[in-house]
Amino acid sequence: MTQGNGMGSHTRTAGANGERPLLAPGIHGEAVPMRDWSRDEVDVCVVGAGAGGGVVGAKLAEAGFSVVILDAGPHWDPLHDFVSDETASHKLFWTEERVTGGKDPVELGSNNSGQGVGGSTVHYSMIAMRLHADDFRRRTLEGSIAGADLQDWPLTYEDLEPYYEEVEQALQIAGPVHYPWQKRRRRFPQREHQLNASANMLVRGCAALGIPVAAAPVATLSAPHRDRPPCVYRGFCNYGCSTNAKSSILVTYIPRAIRAGAEVRPNAMVARIEHDATGRATGVLHFRTGPSSGHNGSELFRQRAKAIIVAGYAIETPRLLLNSASPLFPNGLANSSGMVGRYFMIHAGHQTFAKFPERIGQYKAPPGLAITEHFNRTMPDVDFSCGYTVEVVGPHVGDFAGRMSAARNLWGSALRRAMFDYNYYSGLGIVGETLPRLDNRVKLHDTERDRYGLPVAHVLFGHHENDQRLIDHSIGKMTEILRAARGEDVWGVNRTAHLMGTCRMGSDPNASVVDADGRAHDVPNLFICDGSVFPTSGAVNPSLTIQAIAARTADRVQAAAARGEL
Amino acid sequence: MENPLRSPYPDYNVLDKWSSLDWDDQTRDAVSRRLFNVPEIRFFTESEKRTLEAVVERIVPQPDRRQDERIPIVPWIDEKLHGDRRDGYRYDGMPPQREAWRRGLAGIDDTSSAIFDGKGFADLDGPAQDEVLRRIEHGDPPGATWTTLPAGRFFTSVLCVSIVKTYYAHPSAWSEVGYNGPSSPRGHMRIWEDGVDPWEAHEPPDGPAMTASNKAGDAER
Ligand SMILES: Cc1cc2nc3c(=O)[nH]c(=O)nc-3n(C[C@H](O)[C@H](O)[C@H](O)COP(=O)(O)OP(=O)(O)OC[C@H]3O[C@@H](n4cnc5c(N)ncnc54)[C@H](O)[C@@H]3O)c2cc1C
Ligand code: SF4
Repeated sequence: MTQGNGMGSHTRTAGANGERPLLAPGIHGEAVPMRDWSRDEVDVCVVGAGAGGGVVGAKLAEAGFSVVILDAGPHWDPLHDFVSDETASHKLFWTEERVTGGKDPVELGSNNSGQGVGGSTVHYSMIAMRLHADDFRRRTLEGSIAGADLQDWPLTYEDLEPYYEEVEQALQIAGPVHYPWQKRRRRFPQREHQLNASANMLVRGCAALGIPVAAAPVATLSAPHRDRPPCVYRGFCNYGCSTNAKSSILVTYIPRAIRAGAEVRPNAMVARIEHDATGRATGVLHFRTGPSSGHNGSELFRQRAKAIIVAGYAIETPRLLLNSASPLFPNGLANSSGMVGRYFMIHAGHQTFAKFPERIGQYKAPPGLAITEHFNRTMPDVDFSCGYTVEVVGPHVGDFAGRMSAARNLWGSALRRAMFDYNYYSGLGIVGETLPRLDNRVKLHDTERDRYGLPVAHVLFGHHENDQRLIDHSIGKMTEILRAARGEDVWGVNRTAHLMGTCRMGSDPNASVVDADGRAHDVPNLFICDGSVFPTSGAVNPSLTIQAIAARTADRVQAAAARGEL
Repeated sequence: MENPLRSPYPDYNVLDKWSSLDWDDQTRDAVSRRLFNVPEIRFFTESEKRTLEAVVERIVPQPDRRQDERIPIVPWIDEKLHGDRRDGYRYDGMPPQREAWRRGLAGIDDTSSAIFDGKGFADLDGPAQDEVLRRIEHGDPPGATWTTLPAGRFFTSVLCVSIVKTYYAHPSAWSEVGYNGPSSPRGHMRIWEDGVDPWEAHEPPDGPAMTASNKAGDAER
């Protein structure tokens, strides 16, 4: 044990009491011995093994804490479980029912939520961007906007910068030597990737229009790193990377966590967080399923812990807190402010496609290899605040057909004929800031229950008119860029990406759920560490920020433990 | 007359790569199930199946294939519903998927019967079937079902997308559009414009695959 944190003893070793240690899948198909903490009170129990949970769990295990990380889904063996096929990869997504509504209902499922060790990073597009200093001060910069509730973050860019550095190193982000929109202290750890035809298309279009453009920083290796090979441009990144080139949480922080003595418990769906009479969290109750667990999901298991970190992403995290209501916390755990589930945000994700004279083959290589942040700022002479990033997208054939059919009301022979030109299409998509609104929220559904009998999430979303103006502007710009790159036959499809908000961080306990350290205002040994803590959405892909916050939260948990507060 | 459905890649068959470096064992497993283990109908009733088969024939017509070469679609939708495998969400106002499909298919017959004097959908000719589907797609079809089931939503987010995605999940569909299909462990080399790896679908020697009749605009109906 490297930390004198006083949180618990670490005398129990794997295989103690004559038991065999657990085995976890390694990243090369091997079985890795892992400690079994199920009978102990651990220092830290993390719920969710994704972008936030993986980082915070691994760092705390390495700091000497006893850690259990629970995830509702399986522990993937990347070389054998990931299939080069869209349909067969359905298992990677959160497919339990949720109900989506409001003025502009958000598409869920494979569009934004993963299930299983590694979380959504198993199938994410790996674009790894930092927020900008201005993104932490939107309220100060934009003022008050009617119908929205912009807030400054209780953190600054300077607070997070060392943690951005830390996670960029850990994930070996590959990016350009010169990144036009952000001053960096150090280069990206790996050189940028060769651009594919879709990325060249964005570069060509932007160059013709005088718009700065760059290779995207992405979390996949451009050169070998330790026991992982570089990317082979296979292009199935959204369906799990079967070569281990992709720096998902599954192949980076999870092996570190296990090596440092953490238990990563798959197929463990947390149903409720328990607390004692003083309101301190004491552990979690969870269902276990799956062949390896030997359980069928009908029994509840208790994992005792001195501190609990929830990292289930911006729908399941508030759902778990609301499902943990008790006589002491009648509105849900950590919800005296009434803000749990509020300010649910997505990124505007409109996509625009065009047909090109050259063969593109958009299925080859990672989908988002070039970007422009030129419009990611509040621009003069426009009728909206905030901005958006423009990125390349690369849907495989089934997704592309689905999008084209829906966007153009196309079916019949016309659809089959249009699809003959699949290899000539290329597209752009935005990551557009949406404004936080009180009424956009995640709540418990009145009647619908999941297979464990737990109320499912009811997600309500409607765009602010600022979002709509931003989207309209972006459609105009994407169309210009595609045309300037010689694209014809332009069409678009309305989409959204990413989930944020619902447990926003802030310094006012009446208006936020957690503080800058991710610690719940109401429950001193409960932390939240995932996309749900964002007070505003920013206009870049969120994972790197989630991971940087998680790296910082790990340090803050350690500091709190050292002060004897946990 | 409909244009012939001639693939620009007549010589390409993705299955020729079955034993190549593009296919790993788990992918062969998944795709061989799709090819050789087409499931029995267990969820739909006989009449639901008949209606859905007729709908499928309009959404992704396959007159260019012999009956035994056609991409099966209804059995896979049936299998998903039989196992009640969900998509992770449903829209407010839509019932759970099994009920949505049953009511939606009944609604298609309702609309057909309201417009065409009591005839069921499967008994209409092609253009009449298209008219029924367009009315449902536009969200204003006649028929009692649609007062409680949002027609446009059912058409776009349940019916049409399921059929289209099932069609384009099949190797025959991959071949006809020149999609590389599986690519692990080999990956790709020639990722630039007009770059085509030797194992990818090749353009016919007599010109670019994108035919004049397929140029911009033609896809618009
Ligand atoms: C197709 C796609 C592409 C994307 N591309 C990018 C990109 O290029 N760049 C980027 O930055 N972001 C991208 N994202 C978004 C990114 O993946 C997420 O923002 C990020 O992973 C969220 O991190 P998280 O820790 O909040 O949640 P997740 O990574 O989703 O992890 C949450 C985990 O918690 C588990 N869980 C939830 N509830 C419970 C419970 N009650 N009990 C036990 N376990 C539970 C889930 O099973 C899941 O594994 C993409 C997402 C998708 C879907
Ligand atoms: S393109 Fe690269 S990162 Fe994506 S799946 Fe292939 S090897 Fe992995």
